Amino acid sequence: MEPPKERVKFIQTDLVLPYHYYAGDYKALYLRALKDKKILGSKCSATGKVFVPPLMSSPDAHAPCEEIVELPDKGIVTTFCVVNVPVYGRDIELPYVVASVALDGADVSIYGLVQECKAEDVEMGTRVQAVWKPDGERQGDHTDIKYFKPTGEPKAPLESFIHRL
Amino acid sequence: MSKLRNVAIVGFAQAPIVADDPHRTAPEMLYPVVKQALKNANVERKDIDYQCAGSSDYIDGRAFSFSQVMEVMGAWPPVQDSHVEMDAIWAAHLVWVKMQAEECDTAIIAGFGKVSEGSPMHVLNLQLDPFYHASLGLDHVSTSALQASAYMAKAGVDDAGLAEVAARNRAAGAKNPDTQLRQAVSAAELQKTPFVTSPLREGYLPPIGETATCLVLAAEGKAEKMCDKPVWIHGVDHRIELQTIGARDLTSSASTKLAAKNAFAMAGVKGVNDAQVVELGSTTPVEELILRDALGLSSGLGGKADGPVVNPSGSPLCANPLMNTGLLRLAEGFRQLSGRAGERAVSGAKRAVVHASAGHCLQQNIVWVLGTERRWA
Repeated sequence: MEPPKERVKFIQTDLVLPYHYYAGDYKALYLRALKDKKILGSKCSATGKVFVPPLMSSPDAHAPCEEIVELPDKGIVTTFCVVNVPVYGRDIELPYVVASVALDGADVSIYGLVQECKAEDVEMGTRVQAVWKPDGERQGDHTDIKYFKPTGEPKAPLESFIHRL
Repeated sequence: MSKLRNVAIVGFAQAPIVADDPHRTAPEMLYPVVKQALKNANVERKDIDYQCAGSSDYIDGRAFSFSQVMEVMGAWPPVQDSHVEMDAIWAAHLVWVKMQAEECDTAIIAGFGKVSEGSPMHVLNLQLDPFYHASLGLDHVSTSALQASAYMAKAGVDDAGLAEVAARNRAAGAKNPDTQLRQAVSAAELQKTPFVTSPLREGYLPPIGETATCLVLAAEGKAEKMCDKPVWIHGVDHRIELQTIGARDLTSSASTKLAAKNAFAMAGVKGVNDAQVVELGSTTPVEELILRDALGLSSGLGGKADGPVVNPSGSPLCANPLMNTGLLRLAEGFRQLSGRAGERAVSGAKRAVVHASAGHCLQQNIVWVLGTERRWA
């Protein structure tokens, strides 16, 4: 059989699949607290580890984490990267820093931008604090923390956070 | 049949089956269920060698959706894990094969599917061929209705027959505290419910539901310590038919027939009448009639109740939480044979035949034979 000379008929199917994801009670609590400039975590009943955002159960100990704890909005940059290429959907001046921030008292990091400083001034161990959206603009979602900024405090030594990388 | 390894069901737990749980994510629904299943099997997570989940990315609306439940299945330190993009009863089959290969002695099998977060009608439409079937807007109800019309014409079963089958399942469901629809409804009342897609009425179709499930399997030597009455797997086989529904005889189930023949041979039983309990994964009355025929059971129509008790759980007509529906059939077999079936227990049940299905119009079918005694000496 001769191969077709014209393009073979195809169909374009634009899939429409509606979803609405539930945050679940634990993450809903976390998101709601962001509105009040509060960061919540949960404590593992077996190991005492603090997870943020709060988890129902600890991944490593497979134990319940029912105790909700409030964490400060300060911590240290553990690992970070400097973004030099524009990313679709983000309107941020290049280069910018995306960092893993271990809040004081938390055993896992949350992620955020580090701003109000030069990219080259960010180091592992740099102490940072959250900069929040102003009152009335916080919606109870993760962008309520606009970014983190360096506090100017002395850098934390690697030994103090190496277990949190 | 050569000698195989004796493997038993030793524990099961499930979340309540509800239309919509707005308080918990799929992992959060599953976590307490895994903990309870382990407790029921008298073990800690560290005593489990292997884990396998059954779920669907399209149901959950996430790529690689199974990875979200690693944390709640206790996957640390790193464990051996696998996943099937199918009802979790197929995950149980994969684990059984792993145990035959002596790769593990103990395993947990999880089912989850956050049906309320998406639109199952749209998802099940996409299961069909995109050129000729999906583009027509067919969903699982309309393909089931096509099958029902064909079967009713061929077998001479009328609307009253469908109502009778549905009513019998609803009566059974009323005695099952773990199912979703727990009210008995008469055939006459069901016949008054409106057509969803003719000839299928609202009363002949399952409700929308979601849950999370966890089954514990263990090989001989360990199973006895994990359960007072382990339920042994005597035989299992599954077969699949063509995707093109137009190329299949919708009025019969060749794959169920063959899977049953192979499972019965493995179990060393003559046929379905060697069992006292049969649990079918039928989501419409017509599917039940087709499956009864394929397995060698009487239709049960006209109030006849010869042979084994069929669908003591109330069947998927009372609860059809996608990705869990099949595993719940296996759980019913376990509950019936291990003295955990409460008010609906079939007295003197020593052997059960369990069936589950996947795909449109009974495309793929799995048949298990379970027993209270070990199969192989």
